Amino acid sequence: MLIRTVFIFLLAISAPYAAFAQSFGAQEFTLSNGLQVVVIPNHRAPVVTSMLWIKVGRADEAPGVSGMAHYLEHLMFKGTQKMQPGEFSKTIKTLGGDDNAFTGQDYTAYFTSVSVDNLPKIMEMDADRLVNLNPPPEHFASEKQVVLEERRQRTDNDPRALFGEQLQSMVFINHPYGTPVIGWMNEIERYEWKDVKKFYDAWYAPNNAVLVVSGDITAEQLKPLAEKYYGTIPKKELPPRIRPLVPPAPAQSVLSLQSDAIHQSIYQKIYIAPSERMDKKDSLALQVLAEIMDGNATARFYKNVVIGQKKATSVDFNYNSSAYDYGTIGIGGTPAVGVSPEDLGKTLEDEITAIITGGVTDAEVKDAIQRLQDTAVFARDSVAGPAMIFGAALTTGSTVADVENWSTDIAKVTAADVKAAASKYLDNTKPWIRPAVTGHLLPAEIAPPEVSDVQR
Amino acid sequence: MFKDKNPWKYLALGFLLAAVLIGLLLFLGMQAQAATRFLPIEEITTPKGIKVWVAKDNSLPVVSLKFIFVDSGSTNDPQNLQGLARLLSNTLDEGAGDLDSQSFQKALSDHSITLTFNAGRDFFGGDVKTLTRHQDKAFELLALALNSPRFDAEPVARMKDGNLTRIKSSMSEPDWMTARLINDRAFGTHAYGKNSGGTLSSLPRITPEDLRTFKNTYLTKDRLIIAAAGDINPQTFAATIDKVFGDLPAKGPTVEIKDFTVENAGKTFLYNQDIPQTFIEIMMPSFDNKDKDFFALKLLNYIYGGAGFGSRLMDTVREKGGLTYGIYSSLQDYRHGDLLSVSTSTKNESAAEMLSLIQAEMTKLQNTPVGEKELKDAKSYLTGSMPLALTSTDEIADMILSLQFQELPIDYLDHYADYINAVTPADIQRVAKRVLDPASMVTALVGKPAKIENAEIVKELPNVQ
Repeated sequence: MLIRTVFIFLLAISAPYAAFAQSFGAQEFTLSNGLQVVVIPNHRAPVVTSMLWIKVGRADEAPGVSGMAHYLEHLMFKGTQKMQPGEFSKTIKTLGGDDNAFTGQDYTAYFTSVSVDNLPKIMEMDADRLVNLNPPPEHFASEKQVVLEERRQRTDNDPRALFGEQLQSMVFINHPYGTPVIGWMNEIERYEWKDVKKFYDAWYAPNNAVLVVSGDITAEQLKPLAEKYYGTIPKKELPPRIRPLVPPAPAQSVLSLQSDAIHQSIYQKIYIAPSERMDKKDSLALQVLAEIMDGNATARFYKNVVIGQKKATSVDFNYNSSAYDYGTIGIGGTPAVGVSPEDLGKTLEDEITAIITGGVTDAEVKDAIQRLQDTAVFARDSVAGPAMIFGAALTTGSTVADVENWSTDIAKVTAADVKAAASKYLDNTKPWIRPAVTGHLLPAEIAPPEVSDVQR
Repeated sequence: MFKDKNPWKYLALGFLLAAVLIGLLLFLGMQAQAATRFLPIEEITTPKGIKVWVAKDNSLPVVSLKFIFVDSGSTNDPQNLQGLARLLSNTLDEGAGDLDSQSFQKALSDHSITLTFNAGRDFFGGDVKTLTRHQDKAFELLALALNSPRFDAEPVARMKDGNLTRIKSSMSEPDWMTARLINDRAFGTHAYGKNSGGTLSSLPRITPEDLRTFKNTYLTKDRLIIAAAGDINPQTFAATIDKVFGDLPAKGPTVEIKDFTVENAGKTFLYNQDIPQTFIEIMMPSFDNKDKDFFALKLLNYIYGGAGFGSRLMDTVREKGGLTYGIYSSLQDYRHGDLLSVSTSTKNESAAEMLSLIQAEMTKLQNTPVGEKELKDAKSYLTGSMPLALTSTDEIADMILSLQFQELPIDYLDHYADYINAVTPADIQRVAKRVLDPASMVTALVGKPAKIENAEIVKELPNVQ
């Protein structure tokens, strides 16, 4: 309950392929200062969700101050020359609206849901804090404490979360995605306002932002408002976005954590994979593969591993395609009583091998495409959801057309494409870039496995 | 009376005038109704006498149907079979009629139908979401699940195993652990104290026969509430409802559940767990919408901790103190008792300070009336945010269902703002004295809190094994 808002949006991010719609009827224009504006009309209720997305995130930070982009996101609610700390959210509440924000590796987004007649006030306040942030210094320290509490609550209290963080850092050797968005505990302590301000001044600019407004409005109605509130903000020269690359790393990595606080073992494995921006064709094929493997209770993983072989009580195959750089494929599960994580891992890998060698059937592909297209229709049944979809797409290198045409593009995927993508990204014997990283989480009473491979 | 010799003229004029007036009144009345109906909900009665509240909307080809059987939830689980209602919700969609588990699930996924069941303390519920073009199939599958579930041995065993590993996984989650502790201590021996998710020993005992008996006993028409929203086919809808629900048993046994009072008032319980934070969950007795002070209570809760950002608790402990990522209070309205609860977490060293701040904010609201502006702002939010809760077919169906569950009138939303706006600072203070009483609190802590005195140490998490 504490993180309800955040949780909903995490869900939306983790399954972007499932949420894209065949046609949202999105409209798009760009102001002369470079601000990109997307409008998704939906006149069911007299409300809008307005999201301001900045194309900067955790992965763009300098080394040594991990999580600073997220700390900045917190400070964005602490006032400008015109606004007192906290006044932004209080004003929105008084207007009957809700607001919040979140930070990812590639973006930082601020959102407000409110009745459409109050949209101008929201735009005025958002435009103000885009370039006039000025929190009083007494808030720097207390907000840092809030971030430390956030990290403790989300991560440090739960060995599974700590383990996930470490797995991720192992996957992304030499790449910023290996560092958690919230930052490492000992680096959070080091934030200084002057560094935050430098980061803010460099990246927060109209030509590095996307305004997405979904709801009871049209582009024609929004354009004069956008001109009025954002149009006068000058564009900036932006720093280059140079991201490091993951090098070939042939060694196998197996991590294991045994803890008193764990009562149920878990198996996980993470493959590095292309994002939609890196390779759209392969990305679409992997989206279909994920649906075939784990789209529902009759999909391959559940049917064969949980029901058929009874090796697990739950299984997971997920593909994250929404990233500026690399995507990931994660597989995993909760082993059944008496099954070790290694044993479950082998069973899941056998299922993957079956795809690499035998492929999938045309019927499987056809059904998966139909279901994905149907989820796209359901995605239109929301005001905030489509704003989320467009914002995440446009800040990770996709276009409005990519989102609008997703349903027709996904329909072009063939069984041969799925087999080829599985062979390219999931074959342990000839890995793409580097082998997948495996994780075993174990209760204290069970001895950990002998790990002879390189363990980090 | 009439001075004119021809009174008929006046009578005729009178009739004409009356007709015009009635017409005008009708017209204005309809206008007024059209203008103020916040959400147009219709009540439909089917040929078999089942009532459904419906909000039609064909802007998208989506249909949502939600229903609950009241007083049919985990409160009715036998003590040694805790988790029975929950397991029923897991197994009801695992095969029905001629379709075994996999065939049933395939029929759902082939038609992109979402069909789920859920069990709360006070109710057993179901939820169908479908595209218009598959609605006949969706209702056919729902009818099968409700009327002829199979409870085959394989899926029942699979769902039991899934629940057992879910419990073992949850044993690493401090918020789950805190919930176990507070529920046990606050509800005590009342039926609400049962673990609705089941325990490690109760779940293995449950048999397919137990599931069948629970379903036949409690999923009956006298307890049924139905809400529908979206692109409903008005020609076939009533007949469909009869086909799905019409053949369920007419009546189930009356369940005697006594009203509960919070037990262990004034006490603090601690379960030691080696984590960097202390999780805090507090419960105190409250009341529901049957009480004339309910709207004052809603506003009080919003001002105290319900608002999230902007609430007094969030301002004091997060914005000023930096002591937490979040703190919230909420009202929990059960059929046989009501609570106000507070949840938060803070680093172990700050736990004692946090507890005293939570109480200090209670005392302040008891002793000092809220300011006019603070109250006005709270009213603006509670009245102004209503449309935000109605932006999808699902949310609309949820709203309609909850109006019925809370036994509110069909036009309740139209008057909601008036009720809220009538509340005064004196009302809020009266309710604060009644509810926000530190002596009535039960407190549960999980973590390694520093400087906590007088806490009763709990060695084993209750209702898990």
